Amino acid sequence: MEGTRPMSNAVLETRNLSKNFGALTVTQNVNFSLKPGARHAIIGPNGAGKTTLINLLTGVLRPSGGAVLLGGNDITTMSEHERVKHGIARTFQINTLFMGLSVIDNLYLVLAERLGGGTEMFRPAGRDIGVQEEALRILETLKLEENALTMIRELPYGQQRLVELAIALALDPKVLLLDEPAAGVPSAESHIILDAVENLPEDIAVLIIEHDMDVVFRFAKRISVLVRGAIMAEGEPEEIAANTEVQAVYLGETNHV
Amino acid sequence: MEGNNSPAVQAVNNLAVRHKFHWGEAVPWILAILVFYFLPGYRLLATQILVMIIFALSLDLIVGYAGIISLGHTAFFGTGAYITALLATNNFPDPIFGLFAAAAGAALLGFLSGWVLLRTTGLTLLVLTMAVTIMLLELANDFDEITGGFDGINFTNSEILGLIELDQLWYSSSYIYVLVVLFLSFLLIRTIIYAPFGRMLIGIRENTRRMSAIGTPVHQRQVIAYVISAAIAGIAGALWVQVQGNVTTEVYAFELSGDVLIMLILGGTGRLYGAFLGATVFKILESVTEQILGTDQPYWQLTVGLVLILTVLFARRGLFGIFEDLSNRWKGRGQ
Repeated sequence: MEGTRPMSNAVLETRNLSKNFGALTVTQNVNFSLKPGARHAIIGPNGAGKTTLINLLTGVLRPSGGAVLLGGNDITTMSEHERVKHGIARTFQINTLFMGLSVIDNLYLVLAERLGGGTEMFRPAGRDIGVQEEALRILETLKLEENALTMIRELPYGQQRLVELAIALALDPKVLLLDEPAAGVPSAESHIILDAVENLPEDIAVLIIEHDMDVVFRFAKRISVLVRGAIMAEGEPEEIAANTEVQAVYLGETNHV
Repeated sequence: MEGNNSPAVQAVNNLAVRHKFHWGEAVPWILAILVFYFLPGYRLLATQILVMIIFALSLDLIVGYAGIISLGHTAFFGTGAYITALLATNNFPDPIFGLFAAAAGAALLGFLSGWVLLRTTGLTLLVLTMAVTIMLLELANDFDEITGGFDGINFTNSEILGLIELDQLWYSSSYIYVLVVLFLSFLLIRTIIYAPFGRMLIGIRENTRRMSAIGTPVHQRQVIAYVISAAIAGIAGALWVQVQGNVTTEVYAFELSGDVLIMLILGGTGRLYGAFLGATVFKILESVTEQILGTDQPYWQLTVGLVLILTVLFARRGLFGIFEDLSNRWKGRGQ
């Protein structure tokens, strides 16, 4: 009786969330919730449906069944851009940036949109003091100041990953979904990303999808294991590490790679 | 402020001032005035060039800034042209009123077609924009008792603001009239692209996927840009027939859609002045080719083809891109 229970204090919640592509079930009755300030990781072998889950949460995909709730309100039918305005931000597994623009211009777009100026046609862009201050603050938080004027395509990949994070932070989210934030970053640079992820503002609920177990166990306070679209186990990192079923499926699969 | 030299502060300051006019931006307007005084024999050609610049500018807003590719922009040019001409033959000969009506009619068509078409992208969109134009051309041919068909209809404008007559012999008032409308259209587009709305269009061009993920209603923004572009293309079409006092179904010609896109690519997309350069070079080349090789179509089309191939091979950012490179190199040497 999920639907009738009293409202929880979760920021983001799913109820029996399911998604099929034809006969292929990629998400099966997923129930989980994120509390304010949560540090939650979703792990699982390749093809477990992790990115599909993010796409369902952000509204890129419509679920075949079940519901997504944000702050107790049903947002299942809400479009992607509306969900962003309501506080769900994400990063992409593969950089999805404005490659031909500078770092500051990337941030500018996000801030102008968030602070309500997206349809302003006559006042020149960039005069808004609020936008300027916010841009500086985010550049500073992610230590991107030196590269503010550099075009994204001229940045090293690790720095580009930081811009992914910067864009998401500039949206001032309640919930932040990180799709493998350190993917593709050379190991010498990955600590920069991990430090940034660890230092995310505490009031944001963070859901991280990650392959790298070091990252997961360093960062997450709670872990869900996704296998073939369904949540197989959920708990504290120690519980998950000790779970023999998880070890069998997860480590078994990774051993084959 | 502390740390005033840091790249971050500098970057933020750049944001606040980059819309300001550069002295070089006065050059095209000075040239236009010089042409008026010193080359009066070329005023007809020059007037046509000015109209084509407006048309190419309108296309730049969607192709160059919003990344919406179109091979059917004559749909709006032609609609503006016919609205103006039909108003003039039906007791509304005021040219300014004609311009506004053309803009409104083209904008409406832009809204109706854009709402549907802009749900597609790439090749599908290209073909659909083409289809709309061809459809309108067929309609104009079928309803030739209204449109005059291929022979067209002649009409006369009243005086502008009841004072200035559009002269179709020396093109003196016509030239100034078109130049003023070009200047106002240009100011409008320039203001829009430096305002947040225009920056968002660039974002949509650069990465549609990410724009949705930062909370931008992409489709809605594209439709708005399409409507503005359509309105300005409608104004260009209205001017085109106002200065000639004649309209034929050629204003819907699919070839013109191609020509204006070529002008834009030739000059350089997404850089405003590309439209100025592209339209000017294109029309002058057309006129020179016709003078040297005659008006047989194949020669001109061969020339256009060659120019386009050369542009795509050696100047991907168009003639204005070459100009930018040269001016950057010159600046570099000066330091």
